[in-house]
Amino acid sequence: MTFPSSTTTDDAADSVDATPPAGSDPAIVGRSPGQLMWRRFRRDKTGVISAIIVLAFFLIALLAPVISALYGKDPYSTYGQNQPGLLNEYGYPIAPNGGMSGEFWFGLEPGLGRDVFMQLVYGIRTSLSIAVIVTVITTVVGVVMGITSGYLGGKTDYVIGRVIDTLLAFPSQLFLIVFLPVVEAAIVLPEEETPVWLRYVSICIVLTVLGWATIARLLRAQVLSLRTREFIEAARVTGASPGRIIFKELLPNLWTPIIIQATLALPLFVGAEAGLGFLGVGMTEPTPDWGRMFQVGVNVYHSDVTYLIFPGVSMLIFVVAFNLLGDSIRDAFDPKTKR
Amino acid sequence: MRSQSRRFASMTAVLAAGALALAGCAQGGGGGAPQGAASTSQKPLENKAVSAITVGTAQDSAGPAPEIQGAKSGGTVYMIDRDDFSHLDPGRVYVNYNSSVSKLFTRTLTAYKHDDSGDIKLVGDLATDTGTTTDGGKTWKFTLKDGLKWQDGSPITAGDIKYSFERLFADFITEGPDYAETWLVPDPNKPFRDQYKGPYDGKELDTIETPDDKTVIFKLNGEHPDFNFTVAMTGYGAVPKAHDTKQKYDRQPFSSGPYKIVSHITDKSMDLERNEHWDPKTDPIRHAYPDKFHMEFGVQAQQTTERFMADTGNDKTAFTFHNAVAPERVQEVLGDPELMKRSVQGLTPFTTFYNINTKRITDVNVRKAIITAWPAKQIQQIEGGEVNTGKIATTVLSPTVLGYEPFDLYGKLAKPEGDPEAAKQLLAQSGNANPTVVYAYNQTPTQEKITVAVKEALTKAGFKVVAKPLNPTTYYDAIGPVDNKFDIYWGGWAADWPTGSTAIQPQFDGRQIADNAPNYTHLDVPEINEAIDKANKITDATEAGKAWAAIDKMIMEQAAIVPEYYQTYFGLYGSGLGGVKMDPIEGEQSALDIWVK
Repeated sequence: MTFPSSTTTDDAADSVDATPPAGSDPAIVGRSPGQLMWRRFRRDKTGVISAIIVLAFFLIALLAPVISALYGKDPYSTYGQNQPGLLNEYGYPIAPNGGMSGEFWFGLEPGLGRDVFMQLVYGIRTSLSIAVIVTVITTVVGVVMGITSGYLGGKTDYVIGRVIDTLLAFPSQLFLIVFLPVVEAAIVLPEEETPVWLRYVSICIVLTVLGWATIARLLRAQVLSLRTREFIEAARVTGASPGRIIFKELLPNLWTPIIIQATLALPLFVGAEAGLGFLGVGMTEPTPDWGRMFQVGVNVYHSDVTYLIFPGVSMLIFVVAFNLLGDSIRDAFDPKTKR
Repeated sequence: MRSQSRRFASMTAVLAAGALALAGCAQGGGGGAPQGAASTSQKPLENKAVSAITVGTAQDSAGPAPEIQGAKSGGTVYMIDRDDFSHLDPGRVYVNYNSSVSKLFTRTLTAYKHDDSGDIKLVGDLATDTGTTTDGGKTWKFTLKDGLKWQDGSPITAGDIKYSFERLFADFITEGPDYAETWLVPDPNKPFRDQYKGPYDGKELDTIETPDDKTVIFKLNGEHPDFNFTVAMTGYGAVPKAHDTKQKYDRQPFSSGPYKIVSHITDKSMDLERNEHWDPKTDPIRHAYPDKFHMEFGVQAQQTTERFMADTGNDKTAFTFHNAVAPERVQEVLGDPELMKRSVQGLTPFTTFYNINTKRITDVNVRKAIITAWPAKQIQQIEGGEVNTGKIATTVLSPTVLGYEPFDLYGKLAKPEGDPEAAKQLLAQSGNANPTVVYAYNQTPTQEKITVAVKEALTKAGFKVVAKPLNPTTYYDAIGPVDNKFDIYWGGWAADWPTGSTAIQPQFDGRQIADNAPNYTHLDVPEINEAIDKANKITDATEAGKAWAAIDKMIMEQAAIVPEYYQTYFGLYGSGLGGVKMDPIEGEQSALDIWVK
């Protein structure tokens, strides 16, 4: 799927209270735009709750080894196959609700009998880390390309613009399916096993290559409108260098779209990575992966629907929370938006 | 025949995570999850081995087929299945699904008779007996029964049979088996089409003689004592000279059996009606109780399972040739005693195994260690248990092959989860306690999980495992080259007829090693090659069976493959039908004994 260039997600924002006009402070205090934004954001309950949820997900991902140590299980051991009495002869958990118990909180994975809770925690870690890396790189690349294209104009703009067009027209999911095995075949000898990091890096690279175009195009448009504004003209007249104009004059005005775009892109990349895992071209076994859990879930839901609930609900919560957060941040940055 | 690589990826569209989660909530939150319940009410499988395959006498070959108690004539039987029949011209039938339906309107010289005890007998179908040979299998004589007629009432003659074989050399018949063609030309080592071009330009094949209208004599270029099994394949079914429409024959074969095709809409439906010229007294295997068959195509296994479970309307009198119970519904079906009453289960001729590349792993102790450490039980669990896969195999030959002898050289039945300690000892004998093996697999979700289990089990025994994912669509191309760089890779096989020759020779004859040839293990042991030649010359079927079983043991002693499963079939049918049986030769449901209650 190509990532829709959604700068606004109106539907999700309906529940958000419109930010009331700034309160009736007796004394007039000078505040920076950042401080203003922060004050507005704190007043937005939905935003704060989403932020806490999102933060919790990142903490879970970061602290996965700690959780594993405390919980006493790891995501790789095939408990169900090693201990008799956990899986029946069809490979499904014997205990009800997908084998949920005090020992295995979220139950057991049908077939291999790994611990679902650990699979999920480490799966979130894999998927989130890929999404964060890709988001950071795409944002940086997108900002550089977008500003360059918009500010320099002319031939540079034309070339970058056509590259962006091509990339946006690219069926990225298909490209990934075709591209990943080719990379591996080219780099890995037939007698060697594909290293896990190679998969990881190639997924990151391909997602990045196909992902920076949206933000670049958005920023290009912003820069195009900004560069004819008076303050830029003034800076130019006073002889400021292009570097100064870009970093000191343009960039501060672009932070809002960049941050909004990045917060909206991250859940999209999580979804994209999960989609790859679901299609079987993402991270391979035995690396735990959020998306691949869906694939397992879809195959077993007739007999063990519980398994699907955990990756499903957690991803639902994560994506909704992150989208709401992105929306709140946008509202906080841009109080003029009325709904 | 080579088994399809069945574990192809199921590329499903990406579903929104949210939608899945919601669906999950809706189902999971409601009633109790069914997974716990099924483990208590399941019924053990009855996958017994075929007790005996024998060659029947002239008496066994005489019609009519023995009455089934309580069976009655009349009514319409419905058939629902996934695909339309790809070929109906006998010469182009090789796939079991096409073969199953062809039995209703195409007769062969010999055929298999099943009785309730599970015994299989080769009997004469068109022929009065299973053929006679006096020179060890070089010359075969078949005599046709009296009263055999085509659907227009004209007699089936020896000339028609000869013609049926001649037309197999025509350039448009390429899909069928080519054993007889290769044996009927002067030189078996040259392409048979270069030596005879078929009957359409007026030339006859002089290796088939028809001294009178009832006698056919085949003069083969070598000794083939199981030629009477070969001609039981639908691929050698009868085609009338007067009604051969060449390429068009595939659409509308001329019936020699109890039914004729009245309409066939590609990929949609096919209707059969009685052929009144068929005489039950000539036929030892077909009952032909129903008046009509209506066959519907394009119904996936998932849907047929649901329709048989619902059992309403015409589905009550419906069966399916090929569609098995969808794997995800198996537990449900097993837990329902009513459904189990109308289920068919049994062994198919297919076996699956993991080839060990004997060109790369030359030390037999290492190969033995692989088999000993192999996590057979875990793999079976990952694939959904015995009902979905089959019984864990320990031999090369399937129990559906004549002469099959059960043996378990590596204690896989006692310790199906693998025995790392015993494997370690074997590795110690080989001198390298930590050999590296390259395990190549189809990159599909299930296979990836199996790889996890394989890696774990082999690592426990001291192996270093390198797992290589292969693209499922080009899997056989990747493992085909003789100098491939893999050590262990999956494969499947079914004998074309139930004797050892087509099960063992193509796979383990060291002289047949070539790129993309079925000898994927590259096993080349002179004693085995010699034994194969000897077994091929034994005329007595039982004796030959023993010889093949002995070769089976020799191959397992060489540890050339890790046997995986004797594949099973598990299917359902409607409550209004009787006599629905498993055909162990084709490995699916048989239409020959069906009647409407």
